[in-house]
Amino acid sequence: MRGHRFHADSPPGWDYNPSAWSQRLPIIALAVVGFVLAGYLALYQLGLFPTVFEPFFGDGSRIILNSWVSELLPISDAALGALGYLADGVSGAIGGRRRYATLPWMVVLFGVFVGPLGGVSVLLVILQPVLFDAWCTICLATALISVLMIGPAMDEVLASLQHVKNARARGESPWRAFFGLEPSAHRGLVPGEV
Amino acid sequence: MWAQLATAAIGIWLMAAPAVLGYSGPAEDTAHVLGPIIATFALVAAWEATRGVRWVNVVAGGVLAVVSLALGYEARAAVNGVIAGVVVAGLSLVPHERRRRIGGGWGALFGSSDSSPRVAGRPARPR
Repeated sequence: MRGHRFHADSPPGWDYNPSAWSQRLPIIALAVVGFVLAGYLALYQLGLFPTVFEPFFGDGSRIILNSWVSELLPISDAALGALGYLADGVSGAIGGRRRYATLPWMVVLFGVFVGPLGGVSVLLVILQPVLFDAWCTICLATALISVLMIGPAMDEVLASLQHVKNARARGESPWRAFFGLEPSAHRGLVPGEV
Repeated sequence: MWAQLATAAIGIWLMAAPAVLGYSGPAEDTAHVLGPIIATFALVAAWEATRGVRWVNVVAGGVLAVVSLALGYEARAAVNGVIAGVVVAGLSLVPHERRRRIGGGWGALFGSSDSSPRVAGRPARPR
């Protein structure tokens, strides 16, 4: 990472750029894999496949994917998960390599999609053995994917929040900074502020 | 990083432990609840910007150790829980070397001043 020090695209005080494509593409790839796996489970729940792939836990996947928890909401839990991964991938892909500053609201939305998806996935992983005494292999894989996305997504959220915070500290509108707008002229000329 | 990955491995082990070691009841539920939580926070804490969530696992590991001793679990569940809990808490206390600067971290979001460092090469201090 030494080579990235003081790179022009990096946020102030950062040794690397969290919005660089090298940082974001792995997260987007995870989201795509999660979308495919969750989509497969959702199609099974919709009845498009008579059986579901389960290499380790016998009847586990069938029990979990047909449980009352999976039917709590108007759409099945796997379908909701698939939509979540889609939202992660799309919100992770929108914007250029300085989007922590040019599109902070999109970065924050990306974080809002990634965080709760991971949280709900882990909750479902806990419920599998505790409520149903069963494990579902692909469900575990999708949960792992959603958890792996959290850490690398949050550094970009931090960079965006710092960008908004620094705009406010300079006397500029934090909301204009949040939505990626140039600071308005009269607010940028507060005496004593740089 | 290594400490977080080892902690995540212990969390995943806890998910399998009741089946592998053959224990059930409240001890099984304890492992099945705390295992995914420990693995999750360890995997999030493995990343620079979210390293701080390792403190959750200090608590989770401590709870696992204390509960395993206090609630009268059968011997192998208690031994497994105490060892795993103490190791998780200990590994989660390992301070991390900051390899890359992240502009003053989350602490920079609080307070009123501009967090970007004015002196090149000097990290901004969290406030």
